[in-house]
Formats: sequence, C-alpha cells, structure tokens
Amino acid sequence: MADLLLPHMNRRAFLAGSAALSAGLAAPAILRAQTKELVVGAASSQKTWSEEIMIPAFEKKHGVKVIFEGTRSLVNLEKMQKNKGSQYLSVVQMDDPVMIIAVAEGLLDPITAARVPSSASLKPGVTHMDGMWVNYLQPWVGIAYNKEKVPTAPTSWTEIFDPKYKGRIILPSLQNTEGVLNLFTAAHLKTGKPMADAQLDLDAGFAKMAELKPNVLMSYTQEGQAYNLLEQGEAYMVMGAISSVALARKSKGAPIELAAPREGTFSMPSGIALVKGGPQPELAAAYIDMLLSPEIQQKVAQATFSLPTNGTVAAPAGLADLKIHPVNWAEVSKNRAAWVSRWDRELSL
Amino acid sequence: MKARRAFDPVLLLAAPALAYMALVFALPVLILIIGSFKGPGGPTTAAYTAFLSDAFNWRVIGNTLRVAALTSLVCLVLGYPTAVALARSRGAVQAGLLIAIILPLSVGVIVKAFAWQIVLRRDGIVSAVLVATGVWDAPQLMLFTEPGLVIGAANVFLPFMILPIYSVLKLIDPNLQASAATLGAPPLYRFFKLALPMAMPGIISGAAIVFSLSAAMYVIPTLLIGDRFQTLATLTARAFLLMRNEQLGSTTATILLVLAVSIVMLSARLVRAAGDSR
Repeated sequence: MADLLLPHMNRRAFLAGSAALSAGLAAPAILRAQTKELVVGAASSQKTWSEEIMIPAFEKKHGVKVIFEGTRSLVNLEKMQKNKGSQYLSVVQMDDPVMIIAVAEGLLDPITAARVPSSASLKPGVTHMDGMWVNYLQPWVGIAYNKEKVPTAPTSWTEIFDPKYKGRIILPSLQNTEGVLNLFTAAHLKTGKPMADAQLDLDAGFAKMAELKPNVLMSYTQEGQAYNLLEQGEAYMVMGAISSVALARKSKGAPIELAAPREGTFSMPSGIALVKGGPQPELAAAYIDMLLSPEIQQKVAQATFSLPTNGTVAAPAGLADLKIHPVNWAEVSKNRAAWVSRWDRELSL
Repeated sequence: MKARRAFDPVLLLAAPALAYMALVFALPVLILIIGSFKGPGGPTTAAYTAFLSDAFNWRVIGNTLRVAALTSLVCLVLGYPTAVALARSRGAVQAGLLIAIILPLSVGVIVKAFAWQIVLRRDGIVSAVLVATGVWDAPQLMLFTEPGLVIGAANVFLPFMILPIYSVLKLIDPNLQASAATLGAPPLYRFFKLALPMAMPGIISGAAIVFSLSAAMYVIPTLLIGDRFQTLATLTARAFLLMRNEQLGSTTATILLVLAVSIVMLSARLVRAAGDSR
C-alpha cells in the first residue's frame, strides 16, 4: 500500500533506489561514526537545490560534511526500518504519506521550536502530527496552458470544463500524485464544499471528472510527454501541473504559463523530519532549522518555483493570494488503490 | 536396414543457449506463475477468480487481444507483398529493401512513439493528407485512439512479419508460378492454391511473433494511447511498479502468457489443418 504513494515512479528510479538501498544498508556504521558528518536521506529530485544552495551554506556554517543520499521516499523508510536502533540517517526528506508510516513505526523525533527555532515561523497547515514532520516547501499544482492557444490566463478550475476545449485537456494519471489532487478539486467544483471537506466526497470528484471526458486529450504517466503535447499546441491545458516542473520548462523558453486558480489549490508532498536515534541530533536539528530559515527558504523557493513554508518569507510575485489547501494524506494512502481502479472504470476511453 | 536413432552430439550445441534461457527466462517465469497461486494458507486460485469475475477486466483482456490481432493483420497485409517483392528482387534493390526493413529496428521504440505523436496529431501529416484527399472533412486526431495505437504498433513490429515470410519465400523456386500459369492456372487460383500455402509457414511464424509482441507491448500503448486504455501488460506493470501487488501482477502476467501462447498455437494448428484439407 505504502508504495502507492510515490509519485513519478518508474523502473529506472526503482532500480536506482534498490541499488542505493543495498549500498546504504551494506555500509558499516562504524566508518561513519568517527568523522563529523551528517547523512540526509532524500529524493533524487531534490539533489540539485540541495547541493547548490542548502548543503554549501550548512557545511560552511557548521564545518561538517553533509552526505546527501538521493533515492525515493520508500527506500528511505526501508533504511530506517532496517537500521532501527543503529540509525545512520539523521534527517529524512520524504513524501507526506510515507511520513505517516514512519510516525506509526516510531522512527521519527518531533520537530519542536526549542530544537528547531525557525519552525515557530512556519505557516499554518505545514506542521503535521504535532511536529513529527513539516513541509519545507510547497510546490503547488495549477493549470499549465499554451500561451498561443489560450491567450488569456485561466482564473478558475472551471475553465477546464468549457466545451470549447474539446479534446485539448491533459490530465495526470491517478498513478501520479498530482492526479489525485485533481479529484479533490473536482469534488470541490461539484459540491461547492470547502476543499477540506470535498476531499472526503470522492463520488462527487469522480462524477465531475467524468463530465470532463469529452475535453480530455489523454492522461499521462510520463510528464515529459504531457509537456511535449502542450508546447506543440496539440494540448491547450494541463490540469494539475506541478509548479516546479511547469515553471522550470517555462524558464527554459517553452511557450507555456502556469495559472493559479482562484479557488486555491494543493501542494505536492515535501516533508522533512528528524530521525529518532539518528547520529548528531543537534546538527540534524540545525539542518532543518537552516532549511526553514528565511534566507534559505527564499533561495530554494525561487530555484524550485515553489512557495516557501516560512510565514515570514514573501511568496513569489503574483502568488501572495494563492490559497494552498491541506491534503488529508492518511485518507489518500488508505484509498489510493481503490481510486486507481475506479479511475480505470470511469475515465477509460 | 533402418539405423537406430542414436543421440546426435551436434544437439549439444544448443546447450549453452538452453542453459542460459532456463536460468534467465524459464525459472523466473516459473517463479512468477507460482507467485500467482500463492495464498495466505497455501496454494489458491483466488487471485484468478477475483480478476476474472470483474467485468472490467474482461474488457482489458478484450483490448489486449483486439489490438494484438489488428496489429498482426495490418502487419500481414503490408508485410506479405513486401516479402514477395523482397524475395523477387536481386542485387542492389534487394540490399536496399533489406536495409529499409532492418534499419528501423535500430531506432528505439520511444523515439518511434514520439515521432508518431507528431505524425498522428490534428495538424499532423496523416490528418493533412486525409483532408486534402477528401477522405476527411476536417482535421481529426488519430493520436490516443485505438486505430492510432494499431498503426504505431504495426510500424514497430512490421519487420518481424516481413522477415520470416521472406525467409520462406526465397526458398521457393520462382519457376513454379510460371509453370502453373503455363498449365492454365488463373492468377487467383495460383495465389490461393500455390503461393499462399507455400508461404504459410512464414506467415504463421511472422503472425505468431507479431501477435505475441503486440499482446505484451507496454511502452507503445503508454505513449500512444495513455493511461485511459488498459491492457494486460499495462495492468501488470502497474501492479508491480505502483501498487507493489505482486500477486495481482503475476496473475495478469500469467493470464497474458497463457492467452498469447494458446492463441498462437491454436491458430497455427487451424491454419495447418485448413492447408491439409485442400
């Protein structure tokens, strides 16, 4: 079940993850014990900004070596499970649904304002289960659109349902996490309930998505293909496009833009936590403290086209009013398989 | 006097390949099949009962077999005349044809699928030609439709139809056709009574290869039709990679294996029986 929660899963990531797992498990802890170093278990996709922004700043300030192990959430979880009692990871960055499992298995230490002072300035809704983990960023989902085909920016999710976009809308598959978020948006549009309550009314979500069928060009599992079609003008909009992906492509010159709908939206999973019993607990807390600090938040949010989670850091231009609704990840991990199977039946060609 | 059938040591030449395939193919397939029968309290067929009692899964099986059959048919219709031309040609023409058939195999499936994405879209060349020739009134989308998937898959698998037919045809004496004509056999009679039966071994193996490949294809449907059209292969991949439901994955994989093998064997037998009765 837990594996359902991993977005962008592919065979290569799986193999790389397994390789990293066996390498990590095999590494004797004794080798690491003597030198002053901090091991952060994270995702490969977080490597660039970690190594360019966060890690150099931290190493400089504390005079330590940070080892960044980029793999996948579930592999990080397995590393903690296998090494319970002799952890070598100090900090983990994992998807929120996987954090729920880690909490249940007693693998995490709470993040408190005493240990991590900057956690006190976090925005509401990004601290979970009494601080067992926090979100360090909010990559948000919006409507990516082709600027030539859609000259005026969409302001509402309802525009996607306009019959004039027959066969021009791309959806993420429900296998992708951003696809699940679309179901919540659809439930909100159908019922008019607040996003938090609408998440629990998935019948409405599926019914609304079924109304979209005439407009759907395709449903993707590989996001590269979706952006290809959007940039070529075959598709006009992608519903549930992730900011860190869409805006990165835009900054490379793609003729696309990402709209933040007025109903608000959701953010993709991006949790960070302290490993219970991990080495160098003070340094681990300092690492999280620095990542949540205004200075680093500003830089990382900018580099990843995401919203900062530190409330004292201003959102990027034009996004000050963007509402990010919390996601009930426990509910997602419980029902994902059933939703995927229902999606097959109700959204198929 | 008839010699006793002794063991021919030449057969040992197949041993390395057999050992290799036993280790990397037969054994894993066996483990996969056993996995599909695993239950909490011993062997069970519960996974099959559950899968096959769901009407939606029969649609998935139908999708898989229909696309594979149509792909084989398109490959046969395009491939048989090509194989005839290839067998008839000589010298540079034959070399050119062979290169044209084999070279596309070196282009990856993903590259081909992305190319089809450009060709089959609304303002793509297929749509433009059909509108210009009056077949279609307005540009239409072929991409992410079943016909688009079949066309794309046939493109990828066509060489696997042409080459087996060609290898049979090239062994047939070209004078046979001329002799039959001299003896007064009309063209259609010559085709059905002479050319087709002689080519049948090649057609059967070509169709068997193309059918099996297209029943099991995963990358091509993922890119050319997307998540809204499930086949046994895409369900299997999802069960293993996303849901990590190994029982479901091995069940769908076994069903695919059994269906593909039995359909190929059955059709070969039917075709041979029809040939013998003539």
